Amino acid sequence: MRQGFSFSKVMRVAGREFASTALTKGFIIGALVVPAALVAIIPLIGVLAATAKPPAVTGTILVIDRSGEVYDTMTERLSDEAIRERRLAAARRAAEFAEGTLGAFGSRMAGSSDQVADAIPTPTFRFELLDPDSDPEQAQERIRQQLPGGADEGPAGPDRVLAVVEIDADAVVRSSTEDAYGGWQPFFRPRLNNEAAEEIRAGVAWSIRERRYAEAGMDRDLIRRIDSVEQRSAQQVTRTGVQRDTSGLASMGIPVAAMILMLIATFTGGQYLLTTTIEEKSSRVVEVLLSAVSPMELMTGKILGQMGVGLSLLVIYNAIGIFALVAFSVTGLVSWHLLLSFFVFFALAYFMFAAMMAAIGSAVNDLREAQSLMTPVMLLSMVPYFLFFPVVRAPNSMLSTVLTFVPPISPFIVIMRIASPEPVPGWQVAAAVLVNLLGVVLMLWLAAKVFRVGLLMYGKPPNFRTLIRWVRMA
Amino acid sequence: MDSAIRMRGVRKAFGSKVAVEGMDLDVPTGSLHGFIGPNGAGKSTTIRMIMSILFPDTGELSVLGRRSAVESKDRIGYLPEERGVYKKMKVASFLIHMGRLKGIDAGPALKKSVHDWLEKIGLPDVAKKKCEELSKGMQQKVQFVSCVLHEPDLIILDEPFSGLDPVNMRLLRDLIREQHDAGRTVIFSTHVMSQAEQLCDHIVMIHDGRKVLDDPVQTIRSRHKPTGVWFEPFEAISEEQSIDAVRGLPGIANVRRIDGKLEALLGEGVRPDEAVRLVASAASMASVDLHRPGLEDIFIQIVTDGQASADDRAQLRAALRDIGGDA
Repeated sequence: MRQGFSFSKVMRVAGREFASTALTKGFIIGALVVPAALVAIIPLIGVLAATAKPPAVTGTILVIDRSGEVYDTMTERLSDEAIRERRLAAARRAAEFAEGTLGAFGSRMAGSSDQVADAIPTPTFRFELLDPDSDPEQAQERIRQQLPGGADEGPAGPDRVLAVVEIDADAVVRSSTEDAYGGWQPFFRPRLNNEAAEEIRAGVAWSIRERRYAEAGMDRDLIRRIDSVEQRSAQQVTRTGVQRDTSGLASMGIPVAAMILMLIATFTGGQYLLTTTIEEKSSRVVEVLLSAVSPMELMTGKILGQMGVGLSLLVIYNAIGIFALVAFSVTGLVSWHLLLSFFVFFALAYFMFAAMMAAIGSAVNDLREAQSLMTPVMLLSMVPYFLFFPVVRAPNSMLSTVLTFVPPISPFIVIMRIASPEPVPGWQVAAAVLVNLLGVVLMLWLAAKVFRVGLLMYGKPPNFRTLIRWVRMA
Repeated sequence: MDSAIRMRGVRKAFGSKVAVEGMDLDVPTGSLHGFIGPNGAGKSTTIRMIMSILFPDTGELSVLGRRSAVESKDRIGYLPEERGVYKKMKVASFLIHMGRLKGIDAGPALKKSVHDWLEKIGLPDVAKKKCEELSKGMQQKVQFVSCVLHEPDLIILDEPFSGLDPVNMRLLRDLIREQHDAGRTVIFSTHVMSQAEQLCDHIVMIHDGRKVLDDPVQTIRSRHKPTGVWFEPFEAISEEQSIDAVRGLPGIANVRRIDGKLEALLGEGVRPDEAVRLVASAASMASVDLHRPGLEDIFIQIVTDGQASADDRAQLRAALRDIGGDA
């Protein structure tokens, strides 16, 4: 053998690599503080959004009710009390849904829904019924005059015209010549609060519908009861009983989360490896190191050290994920088999991409020069993102099966398949491990050759042709 | 005597550029060898092959009795020309890290050794400072410590004096001598030939990738006899007067001005001591000194075969004094 190999030196290099990356303020802030802050901020944003009070809209709605049927129902529907009552009912339904989906955590959220709904101000509408034969243009002119710069410009208040509502004559009772009912048209003042506009839209449409039922002699309560089909929370039947249905999370959420987590861990370690290799080369410390360790020992140590960094991230993020699953009472979604597979395929993915990063880092003089060589690697890393939907939707399709055997993206595909509810044939997992192991050996072999030559090469940045020449040269 | 390093017919090329050709070399154990030659001569490439950082295209090489330095890296201390430190690492941590990579066990002994060495190089207070906080000269001394901390049998220093001020040059020279006196084999390369002249007991000259001289310093000195007598007249006497006086002396072939000095060139068969006596008595002199050819002169003489014009010699001399990288 041309060169000896000392495992203790490899571990020494790995130890320094890990310490110089993972025990720095930057890493600790990036890996721990930022995710923790996000975890804290996301619910806070939810609370802030829920408690954000829209402006209390007050104003007049001009109604041209050519049907002569809708006005009374509409004013009742859009009264302050009716709007407030509907909002409370909606908040309660949301709370019940949260409880059903998120368990204990959702139940705690539900407790505050009444106060939240209570705190949000409701719009206050006044109504003015115009002559059924009125010209909508004239009504619109009243809005125009109240606009900034108009003849009747004034402060917001009950007299400010918010909208003109024009209801067709046949909106409730069909004309003898038409099959379809007539409709209605709103004209809003510019920049009217969206919630108020939506309230008007829904209120008028509901009122027209109510009047149609009545005119047709239909029992509105009966229809409502027929329309309402209650579905109690879905359950999954297990060996020991039943539990809440989590099929949506299981079939989409967990596989995609596993793939993204693996990508993050792989590329965080890989990026650090690239950076530290370039730093060692540009600070000229590399030749000092090469007097103590061989290029292969140096590269292996660096790769292992940064693998420790990636693993640390995985452990941290997995712990957060498991904590979340416990909090949402859906621990059954993650098995030991999945966790084990996750770490095995992470290692395989990491070694392949880390080898590429180490080779590129050794070949260039600074990060800027690395960009052109990094482009294909970054494109490869994006492939799992592009393919996650077809793979997750049909984990055992031809596409998913073929991609299972294409390193270096294979580990990301396999983990999505393993995390999905459809079982993956065992032989495919075993064969994927084998194929990826071959990929790892090949990538490390190629990277070692580039690494050995590249570390001592300064000057013009290499292109891919140069890298191939180095591989032949080494 | 055993050879610490042995090379036979070693060749190394980078593409079409041949960096080292036909290199035969024996460095006896315990010697202090100087590799000299202008920048780009092939000194660093030779050293990198000795260190197994580069591998020869052809030829044989053994280091400390092994086929390559890889098998005895822990017995070698190496200060490369392209040297650096981990900028964010503390000085003591850096030295401990390098010591451990060289096979020293972690523990109080290593820490004490680091502490002692830092005191020895006049930097007792920098142990907890980051390397980037040190001046370049300080970093260079720290790097020297990392090279000798593990008490290697063979020390290889590539341009160790470059970038040092005179005080630190002297300190480093003393430390190198100390290592040599302790029985270690020391090789250092330099393009400043006077440094090799002051320090080495054996010189290897390299030019265009080939070895052009490989002899003990004493042998070189005895082979290259004095060529003239330098003299400097007192201010009261004009240079022209003194030149006229010396030129007329028996055995003096000519008088020339070189590097701002006046030199009386010795004729054939003239005894140097007699020439010195004659020049000293020719006029009122402030100083008279025998001029022995330095390594720089010898190098120029060898590579030009004594046929170079004054301009060519001046160019070669400038190249030798140039400070820059090496191949």
